[in-house]
Amino acid sequence: MDATANKGPCPICDGEVTLGSGTVLSEIIHCRECGCQLEVKALDPLELAEAPAEEEDWGE
Amino acid sequence: MVRIGFLHSLLRLDEKLLLDEFARRRNVEVEMIDDRRISFTLGRPAVAADIVLERCINHSRALHALRLFEGQGIPCINSSAVAAVCGDKLMTSIALQEHAVPQPEVRVAFTPDAALEAMEEMGYPVVLKPAVGSWGRLLARVNDRDAAEALLEHKTTLGSYHHSIFYIQRYVEKGGRDIRAFVVGDECIAAIYRASDHWITNTARGGHTSNCPVSSALAAVALRGARAVGGGIVALDIFETPYGYLVNEVNYTMEFKNSIAPTGVNIPQKIVDHVLRAAGANP
Repeated sequence: MDATANKGPCPICDGEVTLGSGTVLSEIIHCRECGCQLEVKALDPLELAEAPAEEEDWGE
Repeated sequence: MVRIGFLHSLLRLDEKLLLDEFARRRNVEVEMIDDRRISFTLGRPAVAADIVLERCINHSRALHALRLFEGQGIPCINSSAVAAVCGDKLMTSIALQEHAVPQPEVRVAFTPDAALEAMEEMGYPVVLKPAVGSWGRLLARVNDRDAAEALLEHKTTLGSYHHSIFYIQRYVEKGGRDIRAFVVGDECIAAIYRASDHWITNTARGGHTSNCPVSSALAAVALRGARAVGGGIVALDIFETPYGYLVNEVNYTMEFKNSIAPTGVNIPQKIVDHVLRAAGANP
């Protein structure tokens, strides 16, 4: 499940996103260039998507 | 081998810390259960797990998935009963009341007119909260009748049906901070102060955290509050007042990533210990 220094384009700004070695599927990460929250949808090959927007029943 | 079903959707740092902790344990196998991908057939096992640890973001998915797993004979942390109580502020208040746990005064009304009358009787300011919701979302401090009338009209017109269950809480002057107390099983393992210049002190809204020493009095009220909602792993929001502690809310999928450093307590380790013990394993 772990990625190994995987790189791919940000789906929002097309900037390069580099994953850390401990990144896992479904993890929320930030694009350093545009600051958007992204979700790791697949690791091999890397697939990123804009993280879902907050819903009414989200929380603790 | 103990099989842990890890029920989740998006994985945040809190979930990663828990997964890292499970990975350090021997004879533990974690099966990831994404609530966006799973489907259930009633009467058939959905997963082969000894216990399910719930870490969803959506309350509605968590509540129903937990009940479905329990229906298959799989114990869950927290239970669906705890989720049902904690996921609804009115149900939480009723449980606290039934167990004589101190809390701010709460009134409930089902129409704008009745809600307005209740607020007038309580005296302003009051806090109007959605029964279901978190992270300080859609809380409103109502300072006068004009604001009350406007808010009630907006909620009635724009809100979904559960916004017409008007949950009204007496506003508590908390001196710029409240307490978040973490309970795991029978222990209050840690607590933090959440401070903010804003009246909403949630860390999701920018509240700053610092360690809050767990006194015997604080531990006692936290444990009473936790037991009132059914126990398990919960985080309680507590107000300090001249009349003692008041339990404001109880959270059943607690976020803890910002509380490890200030408290010095390894919260994910405590959670994983508890889950493994509940599964009948030696942590």
